[in-house]
Amino acid sequence: MTDVILEKVGKTYPNGFHAIPSVDLSIEEGEFIVLVGPSGCGKSTLLRMVAGLESISTGELRIRGERMNDKEPADRDIAMVFQNYALYPHMTVYNNMAYGLKNRGMAKELIAEKVTDVATMLGLTELLQRKPRQLSGGQRQRVAMGRAMVRDPKVFLFDEPLSNLDAKLRVQMRVEIRQLQRKLGTTTLYVTHDQVEAMTLADRLVVLNKGKAEQIGTPMDLYNKPATPFVAAFIGSPSMNLLGANLTEQGIKVSDALTLPLSHRHRGSIVWGIRPEHLAVSDEQNADFALRIQAVESLGAETLIHGKIDTASGDGEPMVVRLSGPHLPDINSVMWLTAPAQHWHLFDAMTQQRL
Amino acid sequence: MIENRPWLTFTSHATLLLGIALVALPVWMALVASTHPASAFGVGHIPLWFGDAGAATWGAVLFDKAGNGVDVPVWFMMLNSLIMALGITFGKIAISLLSAYAIVFFRFPLRGFCFWIIFMTLMLPVEVRIVPTFEVVANLGLLNSYTGLTLPLIASATATFLFRQCFLSIPGELVEAARMDGAGPWRFFFDILLPLSRTNIAALFVILFIYGWNQYLWPLLITTDDAYYTLVMSIKRMLSVTDGDIAWNQIMATTLLAMLPPVAVVIGMQQLFVKGLVDSEK
Repeated sequence: MTDVILEKVGKTYPNGFHAIPSVDLSIEEGEFIVLVGPSGCGKSTLLRMVAGLESISTGELRIRGERMNDKEPADRDIAMVFQNYALYPHMTVYNNMAYGLKNRGMAKELIAEKVTDVATMLGLTELLQRKPRQLSGGQRQRVAMGRAMVRDPKVFLFDEPLSNLDAKLRVQMRVEIRQLQRKLGTTTLYVTHDQVEAMTLADRLVVLNKGKAEQIGTPMDLYNKPATPFVAAFIGSPSMNLLGANLTEQGIKVSDALTLPLSHRHRGSIVWGIRPEHLAVSDEQNADFALRIQAVESLGAETLIHGKIDTASGDGEPMVVRLSGPHLPDINSVMWLTAPAQHWHLFDAMTQQRL
Repeated sequence: MIENRPWLTFTSHATLLLGIALVALPVWMALVASTHPASAFGVGHIPLWFGDAGAATWGAVLFDKAGNGVDVPVWFMMLNSLIMALGITFGKIAISLLSAYAIVFFRFPLRGFCFWIIFMTLMLPVEVRIVPTFEVVANLGLLNSYTGLTLPLIASATATFLFRQCFLSIPGELVEAARMDGAGPWRFFFDILLPLSRTNIAALFVILFIYGWNQYLWPLLITTDDAYYTLVMSIKRMLSVTDGDIAWNQIMATTLLAMLPPVAVVIGMQQLFVKGLVDSEK
């Protein structure tokens, strides 16, 4: 059953700024949707429009078939977790969680029951009588989630909830959020700029760029078949190597030093891409090109090698290679690489669309 | 500083003691003077130790009519002062909380203009607008009434400005969270805003209470009925005697009594005041 529908939803600010031209998205019940994009791409604006904190300029928002455009946030049956948690500083954890229910006129015993249940689920039972300032960042995060959960809403909204936590806690909370969402089965809309967070959490991803949905799909769809160079560069870390190239009768001419054979009916300038992890080391005879190594990042489990395509003039295009395991090549030495054809990504340079 | 310099310690302590003496000496003199007969103050030397007329003076001050044309006892005037001071304080706090709330959290036409109009009244304290204000109060028939004593002093740009700054420092996400939690404007005001500005209210209470208590010119102008005389202005009236000696001992006792409530407020509210400065909850 379709739970949330955004139909040609757009946002224009009073000063004429076109933040979001038009977004179409339909979310199934229980689905975990992640809105991802660089800062300023409109992902938070879109979320806030669903929340009702920003008005919707054009289009329609429906939750369970009901038009929500003009409803107050409190009447949309949604709950939101904010980036800075936005806990009421003068209230105890218990009151923070109970406040929304109190405002709805729920009976005291029922509130106590619900808050206790959620607190148990999140491991907050010991902290119920504390004030937010007596809690650590991770605990505050949990309280903010608890406050959203007690409401038992139709939709959860998360606005970069993990960006204030340290790296280790972030990974831990990420797993926890995913598990909780699975358990509760609540439809979720989650905003982040972190592509790792996006990939690991999402059932489906929405990659936003300048207010436009570049691509909507499962994490693997986006990884395997990015629709535009923007998505290709955004998903995956380190980013895909994207080079301007020319498609001719001989194949793809990336540079003087690199021409890849391909028969394709398309002609003209394209963007050729290959992920760092798909480049493979080979011997000189079978290699497609040589890489002049400029920097090596050893991470133990993998090694990132930054370099340039080796040319006589020394101004070849930059490339990143990702190899598993430790490698220690010399800086300025040459490395022979192949770029397997099944891992190529081709985009039209003009339309920016996948070929 | 972890330093052991005896001279520094000595000098700083001596300076502090001297400061205390300087501040406390007049109060001490007033206290001592109130225990001497009225004549003792005017003969040339100022007594520095208690006399034997203390009980009589304080009894007279507390329970008899103040005299010199003031037909009510001092305790009654204290009550008047208290009503006026509290009226001004609570009135000012309530009005400025509401106006700051409107200015910060609501979008209405001419919002900025309204703020500047409020702000401009800073330039118009009672002393400047005293004649027109008197006229208005007189025309409204509010002379010799508690309303007349408090109302013209209630409008307050300073407090509005202070609360505005305090409200502006409340993060937007908190406001939004309250909206998501279904808190309407009133709920938000009482459940979130008031508790968060608790310490600011306390600080303002101290300042405004002293301001209200010390009002002199305004009560002097609009009260002609003894039943509405306030303490601070009456001290002046007790001084202007045309015949006979000035009752310095009683005046001193009255002065001390006039000092008590502000001191009590400062001491009573001090903890909250300091707490507000030290730990910020926002």
